[in-house]
Amino acid sequence: MILGIETSCDETAAALVTAGGDIRASVVSSQADLHARYGGVVPEVASRRHLELVAPVVRDALSEAGATLDDVDTVAVTQGPGLIGALLVGLAAAKAIAWSRRLPLVPVDHLRGHVASLYLGPDALEPPFLCLLASGGHTMLLDVRGYGEEAVLGTTLDDAAGEAFDKGARLLGLGYPGGRELDLLARDGDPTAYAFPVARVPGLDFSFSGLKTALLYATRDLSEDELAARRADLAASYQRAIVRALVARVREAAGGKRTAVVGGVAANSELRASLPDAALAPLALCTDNAAMIASAARFTEAVPYPAYLGLDAYASR
Amino acid sequence: MLTLAFDTATEVATSALVDEGEVLGERVSSTRTLLEDVDALLRQGGARPGDLRALAVGIGPGSFTGVRIGLAAARGLALALDLRGAGVSTLDALAAGAPGAVPVVDARRREVFTLVDGEPAVLAPADIDVREGTLYVGGGDRRYRAELEARGALIPPDGDERHLPCARFHAALARELVPVDEIEPLYLRAPDAKERAR
Ligand SMILES: [Zn+2]
Repeated sequence: MILGIETSCDETAAALVTAGGDIRASVVSSQADLHARYGGVVPEVASRRHLELVAPVVRDALSEAGATLDDVDTVAVTQGPGLIGALLVGLAAAKAIAWSRRLPLVPVDHLRGHVASLYLGPDALEPPFLCLLASGGHTMLLDVRGYGEEAVLGTTLDDAAGEAFDKGARLLGLGYPGGRELDLLARDGDPTAYAFPVARVPGLDFSFSGLKTALLYATRDLSEDELAARRADLAASYQRAIVRALVARVREAAGGKRTAVVGGVAANSELRASLPDAALAPLALCTDNAAMIASAARFTEAVPYPAYLGLDAYASR
Repeated sequence: MLTLAFDTATEVATSALVDEGEVLGERVSSTRTLLEDVDALLRQGGARPGDLRALAVGIGPGSFTGVRIGLAAARGLALALDLRGAGVSTLDALAAGAPGAVPVVDARRREVFTLVDGEPAVLAPADIDVREGTLYVGGGDRRYRAELEARGALIPPDGDERHLPCARFHAALARELVPVDEIEPLYLRAPDAKERAR
């Protein structure tokens, strides 16, 4: 079995996945509550928490799978991109576990991990397909030609889609992280009440910062009562603008190919409804988790002992 | 009892393999390659990971990221090898390596970590109660050499090995062994973050 470890942002996660892609255990300890009072992920706070949680999540994954490290033949860990101090905690722990047991280590790219969430379980998807990766940290269109073979067709020039959701939620007083709350609120609103523009950028890239500014302008002159009255309409209109931008790009790039959506934004109900034919990872695998990291390791060359001992993490690609 | 000791809180990573007080090997490298050193130490000592019986790990104060890398490695080793360990203050290890000296570690932001009445503290170099003729070691003193020497501090030359913690002293200071998950880092500073008014 493959032991996966993920600590790139604010989820500390460990998972056990078989070579065939069956998830035997997937443990995710979210720090969202911890960061809520800061209104966003604070890297130093996240790194401190990862250190507290990294060994417990591995132990929990082993016990959930009814396994011991004797059953593990490969260790996989997120090497980047992400918060560097957070990544280094997972990498140090993973190296130590692998070294102790003389196991090979697979350093996994986090974004490739998100794509590999589609290769798990009974309904595993097979390449080729076009993949939209949309999360709090990333928004990308990927041409997935084969396992571990992805070409970036487009990316965000400013905010990530999930970030746009969270920032919008904050402007609407929904707290952090507010993407899910915004989605729920939008169901009670009129998506045509406001015409929020989404910047047209060349190629297959995305831009969401103008949209956030438009929402700011729409909300800042409202009294508290007015805001309360129009909040659902604002949420619905704002969400529609983001989803339309994402869907338009997916349609442009797909050209008849199968499509898939991964990352935390794949949980958004309007996006799911707008792309009825797209393959979607189960919700639990959309947000950051370690099963997807272990899954990606199945298609990535392992680094043998002792070559991995000097590996470093990377913050950006 | 074969003990692996290491500390990555300062500008270097120090590691040592110690058996019943006998230092079998000691190495210095960078934090990133700590486990390469550990691997080399065991190979030199003809030992395998499963032969280890205890860990002695530096808990800082020092670089937050550095402290965490050492502790994360310790937690991984402890989990995989079923080891217990002891957390050792980087300042105590420095002091053990330079008897009579006061350890001073650079804390960035114009501050240092040092011992005040035996207790770890973070303060501005100007607030160190310099005793004339006392030896100061640890790197932080080097950065503020002129300032501290003007007040009577004795500071070894920059390359002096007493400025760096040596893991053999962590092993020597490791007394009570506890579950490694319970060994906490010594940050001495809260994270830099403002709570958002709601
Ligand atoms: Zn992610």
